[in-house]
Amino acid sequence: MQKVLALCRKELTQFQRDRLTLALAFLLPMMTLIILGSAIRLEAKGIPITIQDLDISPLSRSYIERIFATNQLVAVSKSTDDPEQAIAQGLAKAAIIIPPDFASVIQSGKSIPVQILVDATDTNNARIIQNIVRATTRSFLQDAGIQSITERIKARIRVWFNPGRREALYIVPGLYGLILWVYPSLLSAIAMVREKEQATILQIYASSLSATELLLGKGLAYLIIAISEAVFVMICGALIWGLGIAGDPTTLLIGTLCFIVDAVVFGLLIGVRTTNQNAAVQAVALIGFLTALLLSGFIYPLSNIPFPLSFVSNIIPARYYIEISRDAYVRGSGWLGIWQAMLMLIILGLGLFNAARLSLKKMQLPN
Amino acid sequence: MIEWFRNFFSSRFWALCQKEINQITSNRQLLIILIFPPTIQLLVYGFALNPDVHNIRLGIVDYARTYESRELVTSLTSNRIFIAQEYLDREADLAAQVRDGKITIGLVIPPDFPRNLDQGKTTEIQAFIDGVDANTAGIASGYLGQMVSQFNRQLLGVSGKLLIDTQTVFLYNPGLRSSWFFVPGVLGVVLTLISSLVSSVTVVREKDTGTLEQLLMTPASSGEILLAKIVPLFVLLLGDAILALSIGRVVFGVPIRGSFGLFLILSGMYLFVGISIGIMLATLCRTQQQVVLTSFFINLPLIQLSGAIAPVESMPTFFRYVSVLNPLRHYIAITRGILLKGVGLEILWPHAIALAIFALVLLGISINRFQAQVR
Repeated sequence: MQKVLALCRKELTQFQRDRLTLALAFLLPMMTLIILGSAIRLEAKGIPITIQDLDISPLSRSYIERIFATNQLVAVSKSTDDPEQAIAQGLAKAAIIIPPDFASVIQSGKSIPVQILVDATDTNNARIIQNIVRATTRSFLQDAGIQSITERIKARIRVWFNPGRREALYIVPGLYGLILWVYPSLLSAIAMVREKEQATILQIYASSLSATELLLGKGLAYLIIAISEAVFVMICGALIWGLGIAGDPTTLLIGTLCFIVDAVVFGLLIGVRTTNQNAAVQAVALIGFLTALLLSGFIYPLSNIPFPLSFVSNIIPARYYIEISRDAYVRGSGWLGIWQAMLMLIILGLGLFNAARLSLKKMQLPN
Repeated sequence: MIEWFRNFFSSRFWALCQKEINQITSNRQLLIILIFPPTIQLLVYGFALNPDVHNIRLGIVDYARTYESRELVTSLTSNRIFIAQEYLDREADLAAQVRDGKITIGLVIPPDFPRNLDQGKTTEIQAFIDGVDANTAGIASGYLGQMVSQFNRQLLGVSGKLLIDTQTVFLYNPGLRSSWFFVPGVLGVVLTLISSLVSSVTVVREKDTGTLEQLLMTPASSGEILLAKIVPLFVLLLGDAILALSIGRVVFGVPIRGSFGLFLILSGMYLFVGISIGIMLATLCRTQQQVVLTSFFINLPLIQLSGAIAPVESMPTFFRYVSVLNPLRHYIAITRGILLKGVGLEILWPHAIALAIFALVLLGISINRFQAQVR
């Protein structure tokens, strides 16, 4: 135990001296938080659309007014005669074409098709546009008294936990999972592989320090650094987006601790397996970043990941942590909802530690 | 003509080029970097990122238990958007399930549902949606509203058609296949990462090992040395672009609606941007490790503000303006334009001009820095 603490102190001193790495350890996470946290928005606001009104009647005009009254759709600044051209140029994301006999057909009580062209290059927003137009059309018919269907069944839809559907509340807690996975593991991977690159690891092999003690000592030092990173990032997030913990804070505390232990150990494992710093950074960037970004449910729901990849996503710790963090910040259901995720984090951490210990042992001469 | 070729092949430039080509082909690691990361990234991004809204788990408390209430549930779950995950007896259990994240939508059909229907009164059904995933919750609530109103019209025996019958035509991607959105974006991301990494590594390695000084002792000028480094890399990276495009075409069925030639020309232009970024990094850094760390610093905002994953249109206004200064954003607009929309220069010219400016300026700066440093 004393050896572990001594090694930990040595690591921390070494880390403090390297001013550049020290700065990067806090600057990079903050930059990532600000850029990704503000720039990743899935739902477009103020979508430009163009309307071609071939009818020009009071009815069509009030229909158009109604569509723009939603505030989600805005008219394109430059109007063109050819709606398809406007979409191709990217000026408009959608075009609504009102046919010439719009008013007369509706007034005779018949149904008239209105064509909506949607730029579907961005599939998510294509769906959103379709939903907005449909819902607006329905309420237009209702409110204008043209086709007042006595709604026999009314759905009262309430969105829980995040009633205003603020996207920051979805993105930022997930982002913590990405940031606290990539940067702690990056630092510990570099620290581990540097020993090998500078051949100082031979001195350790020659000393009485065992593989477990080496990993624990280094791990403890980088865990302390990672904890301060986590606190720093979460304070930044709270200040910028006003994120507050919704329920029991202990789940977040313990979950974050387990998760950064996993991250640090993952970094150590990468450090043990690679031979130079370049390769270590590449490995963390490619394996760590890619999996935490794509296979963790950070952007789109986990259930949308197809089979072989969905299987891989089961062993991605970030996936479980994002569940815990979103629960703590948004849902607030406490231990009951997330104990399985917590358990998985612990199991994966033990697995990673064992893998690192075994591969380090192979390099060490048997006593 | 033949004379020119003979001159070219005996020139100093060609000799330097040959040296670079030999170095590249003998460097197994470099070839691996050129082939594997792009392939893996394209596949994972293309498959894993999927904004489809389907199989949303529905929990139902049906106090009515009548034919109509079951009909309502069936019509909600008929087209795979919602699936009936669980039937519960008490509303409190349903709420607990939503809280624990076991189901996404809780639906409560009240006991007076059949009576009100019989008497021609309005009944309210309640739906609570787990709003943790704000995007999915929004789309799901839209669908739910539509389906209930559809069911209403069925009940009333109205032909099911609204007087204004909106018919949506999804242009460019009628099947709403999300990979068609991500693949052109990731293609740009991959080219940025690879071209900046490979070019910086080839320059820095020469600096690291001290062979750059040896090269400078030869009669070759620093410009020639740099150009001889760039040209073979450029050809290789163009091959990478074609590889990435073929993966998109074969695996994801991404169409190539526009001109392939234009794609190659503009991709080439973009590769110069990537290569210049790499050379600039190499002149700024002394060791390979610094290069890798700094490229992390530069590539992150470059990629995130490009619209590769989250569309530029959804970004806050400030970031939307910042992204105009991002060459990757223009390249992704070009690839999406050519591949999906099938448009040409007549529409893409602003992006092409921006790209050309970026390529010239960055290449100029990086060559300048390189020459200033070796002098």
